[in-house]
Amino acid sequence: MLASRLLSALYWGTELEITPLPFDRDLNLQELLAGVSLERLGGILKALLGGDFRLLGADGRRLLGSEEPYAQPRRAEIHYDLDLLGQLESASADEARLSAAAAMIELMLRLSARYHMAAELHIETVHEDFAALQQKHAAMMESEARYKALSEELEARVREQVKIIESAQRQLYQAEKLASIGQLAAGVAHEINNPIGFIRSNLSTAQQYVSKLGALESVMQTGNMAQFQSAWKEAGIAFLLEDFTALLGESVDGADRVTKIVSDLKGFSNVDQAEEEIVDLNDNLRFACNMLAGQTRDKVELVMELGDLPKILCFPGHLNQVFLNLLLNAAQAIVDQGRIEVSSEVAGSEVHIRISDNGCGIPEMNLDRLFDPFFTTRQVGSGTGLGLTVCRDIVQAHGGRIEVKSKEGMGTTFTVILPAG
Amino acid sequence: MAEFDEVNRKITIKLVYYGPAQSGKTTNLMRLHDLLAPDLKGEIMTLETQNDRTLFFDLLPLGFRTPSGWLVKLKLFTVPGQVAHDATRKAVLSRADGVVFVADSQRSQSVNNAEAFQNLEENVQRVGMDFSHMPLVVQFNKRDLPEAQIFSENEIRQRWSQTPWPLVFSSALVGEGVRETLFKLLEQVYPALDRLFGLQQEHDVGQQAFISAVLGD
Repeated sequence: MLASRLLSALYWGTELEITPLPFDRDLNLQELLAGVSLERLGGILKALLGGDFRLLGADGRRLLGSEEPYAQPRRAEIHYDLDLLGQLESASADEARLSAAAAMIELMLRLSARYHMAAELHIETVHEDFAALQQKHAAMMESEARYKALSEELEARVREQVKIIESAQRQLYQAEKLASIGQLAAGVAHEINNPIGFIRSNLSTAQQYVSKLGALESVMQTGNMAQFQSAWKEAGIAFLLEDFTALLGESVDGADRVTKIVSDLKGFSNVDQAEEEIVDLNDNLRFACNMLAGQTRDKVELVMELGDLPKILCFPGHLNQVFLNLLLNAAQAIVDQGRIEVSSEVAGSEVHIRISDNGCGIPEMNLDRLFDPFFTTRQVGSGTGLGLTVCRDIVQAHGGRIEVKSKEGMGTTFTVILPAG
Repeated sequence: MAEFDEVNRKITIKLVYYGPAQSGKTTNLMRLHDLLAPDLKGEIMTLETQNDRTLFFDLLPLGFRTPSGWLVKLKLFTVPGQVAHDATRKAVLSRADGVVFVADSQRSQSVNNAEAFQNLEENVQRVGMDFSHMPLVVQFNKRDLPEAQIFSENEIRQRWSQTPWPLVFSSALVGEGVRETLFKLLEQVYPALDRLFGLQQEHDVGQQAFISAVLGD
């Protein structure tokens, strides 16, 4: 292929210099003598015929010998095959010599004709081969152009497909984010419901206390101090006031807790357009743990061992998502009852955040593929397979990495490692 | 395409013996040279052979003079049969006025025959001739071989019954059917030549006279 292309590239645009004549055409005397030295032939004929001679073509034109026509020459015809090609004339030679010389010329012509036919047939076939080569070349150029067009089209289609896949991936990423936000919302609802519940209950107790105090009001209006005091005691107002104070204090705490949750929640609310902030990651961990605790109080014992961390510049919303995702995974790994340990520490120039569970663990064959997009061991529809992919991407965007250790049946430890500086 | 040379008063006709390798094309020409006695008969020119196999072509010139004094010259060519010489085969075939396809009667050669015939059809088209109108005689040669080795006449006739071309059975080696083959080809060639050159009208050569003159009856 390459060789023939090279060859045709070399020949391309050049024409063979010899235009072929039909190899089977009839040749005249002049053509047949073209390869012979006429000077030497003339000398030989002169010697053979013992003097001047004239060699004439079929049309009577002189080809060799004396220019002057003879008055009464002897003539011998020169034939080639069926054709009369010319005449040999001599004034001096006898019949026998003349016809012998003519026969010698005929022999020569026959050899010459063989050469001509073979040579011209050869040229004709070479031409033919060349033309065939050019045709092949043209066909090859055409097919090359076709392949080129095809490959361009394929490339365009691949680009298009990549675009579609990328956009689908973005949508899935988004879906993953929304999914974790949905889970977050459930946790938040639970967290807020709790204080709201006891605040509500405290307020209704407070209503009862106020109406009791209101009942004393009418007794006090009578001005009968003794009666008032006995009613005061009877209503247990001393306890009431004490409890009222405690109850209001408790409610203020509850309201504070709600305020705190709402303020923490801001970290999640603007996941997409978050700006970098300097934060203590322990706060984020506590928040994420609270979110989880709200949903899994019944089955999971959550233990936190948070060491002092330097404040770092990061996207807190994104990291919250990472922590919550890892915690939710840990919770899901626990089938019945279990324990999740969350710890943080500084190790050299890095911050290590470890989330361990004593759940089902991950089979070794799956460990390598854990962070691959769309890899999931959960049932179809219950996970996008992007959770850990998103986590890894976020951590990598912060210049960090995630390490995982797991033993089937014993539990799993994810370590998020971020640069401390 | 026959040549018409007004200056030299000459009509040149080209007939080509085509066929698979070693089917007897050259032998046909040699026997014709021995058997025919036209007015004019040249020597067979053989252009290079290798182990008795034609590399270029063989040429036998035959001819006669018309009453009008014109020279009618027939050039009988053979092509090299070997597959490798296709370019030469094609060049020899070009400008042909008629073709004899010399097939080998041997049973073992039926594939070679078929391939050579297909090659003839392709090359006829490649050199710009019309295969359906080209004078063609199919000759099954080597009838002198033992019957077991060769297809019977019936088998061959049956196989070729749907085709328009005359079939001739020959044994070129002993000279049988060689003359008849040329006769059948000339029968087909004459009408076209007559149309082109007015052989009958202007040169007073009818079909009968034309064929007789070439074969030398």
